[in-house]
Amino acid sequence: MHTRIPLLICLIAGVLMFLQYFSGHPAAKAIYNNILDWWQIIFAFTLLVGVLGFIRNNLRSISRKKETPFKTIALMALVSMPFLALVGGTKIGSPFMWVFEYMQAPMQATVFSLLAFFVASASFRGFRARSVPAAILLVSAVIVLVGRVPLTEHFSTSLSKITFWIQDYPSMAARRAILIGIGLGSMTTALRVILGIERTYLRGER
Amino acid sequence: MSGEKRRWIIFAALFAVAIISYILPIQIESRPSPEVQKSYDYIENLPDSSVMMISFDHEASSLPEIQPISLAILRHLFRKNLRIIGLSLFAEGTAIGYEMLNRTARQYGKIYGRDYVFLGFKPQHISAILGMGESIRRVFPEDYFGNETDTLAVMQGVDNYDKVAMVISIADGDRAVQWIEYAGARYNQKIMAGLTAAMITTYDPYLGSGQLYSVVGGLKGAAEYEKLSGHLGAGNRGMWAQTTSHIFIIVMIIIGNIVYFRSKSSQKGRG
Repeated sequence: MHTRIPLLICLIAGVLMFLQYFSGHPAAKAIYNNILDWWQIIFAFTLLVGVLGFIRNNLRSISRKKETPFKTIALMALVSMPFLALVGGTKIGSPFMWVFEYMQAPMQATVFSLLAFFVASASFRGFRARSVPAAILLVSAVIVLVGRVPLTEHFSTSLSKITFWIQDYPSMAARRAILIGIGLGSMTTALRVILGIERTYLRGER
Repeated sequence: MSGEKRRWIIFAALFAVAIISYILPIQIESRPSPEVQKSYDYIENLPDSSVMMISFDHEASSLPEIQPISLAILRHLFRKNLRIIGLSLFAEGTAIGYEMLNRTARQYGKIYGRDYVFLGFKPQHISAILGMGESIRRVFPEDYFGNETDTLAVMQGVDNYDKVAMVISIADGDRAVQWIEYAGARYNQKIMAGLTAAMITTYDPYLGSGQLYSVVGGLKGAAEYEKLSGHLGAGNRGMWAQTTSHIFIIVMIIIGNIVYFRSKSSQKGRG
């Protein structure tokens, strides 16, 4: 009984959302809009669950004296940003925006920028023609890299053409195959959930 | 040379190459790619007061690459006297989006509520995208400042995507995919994306199939767009640094392979 009700709700919601796609009836539109509203409400609650989980995990780490300074800063940031927003608002020039613009954004950009250094280091250590497939990958990568540099456009147009060919045919074919695979997998999983075959979201039952 | 020491030398060399190149006043002329040209032409040929929706779907981390794209497009939109609806489906994009929209609007003497509006952030992006296809007011009853959406002049006659010429998603991840899959597929909305360079290939299948109208990709895309609109900015300024950094990486690949083959041949010689 304790699993039948959620399964029934899932079946009805799934079938309704599927059928309304093909209907322009006002009742179908109303149901659709209501489900979209509920979706957002449920999502807002999941955010709350996330915040509570974050607080609990950090407090637990602090009590165990594990990475205490980092966990304390994380909790302070979690409390201070909403506090600043509530006290001074979120308009341009407010303390909240100051912290966002001059602390959060540069810190995140710094972490993101480090990728360039890791790419440079990895290109030296890992990008080697150890086998025929690795050599093909290496040559393709170098052609695309050189072809995307604006400077080479002034010397050779054929390199740009080869770059676009690599992106438009071999690379795109592989991506399309992956995307079609994901699409089919999503459809299958959705059907399994709607029909109650897939029950792992219900306390791990199958 | 130890691996640790070698890594530090590579890091320091790349840092020096990027910084020196950025400081040097060297400009590279970027030839507009077909995709950027297509994006520019579409906006250029829109009649006055057409409605454009721009969604800032990115984090602060990608700002150095994303901001030049946003600014180049926003400048063009305002110059063309289009009505702009800004929003964000990524919490962090909210403050950044509003700041960029407001800053550019001031440069062109545009008035909030009449020429442009910022609707703010909505959680659960898929339901927000689908919901706006039925009613924008239902999803955003109020704008970023709590004004009723109905009362704003810029929103008059705009109930859903029907009156929106194009949605531009400025994204550093796969959020533009959701715009394509939900607003594009279900409501036939034209979608354009401003993307980080790393994400461009992810969108190639959508671009090839026509589900995504066009793309302005990476700092290079921003530089090309700036050239087309005749207003050179951060995109063009960063092009030389990006070019030299790319060349540096290519040199690293070549040196890495020379080292690899030399050590392989010396191993064979010893064996």
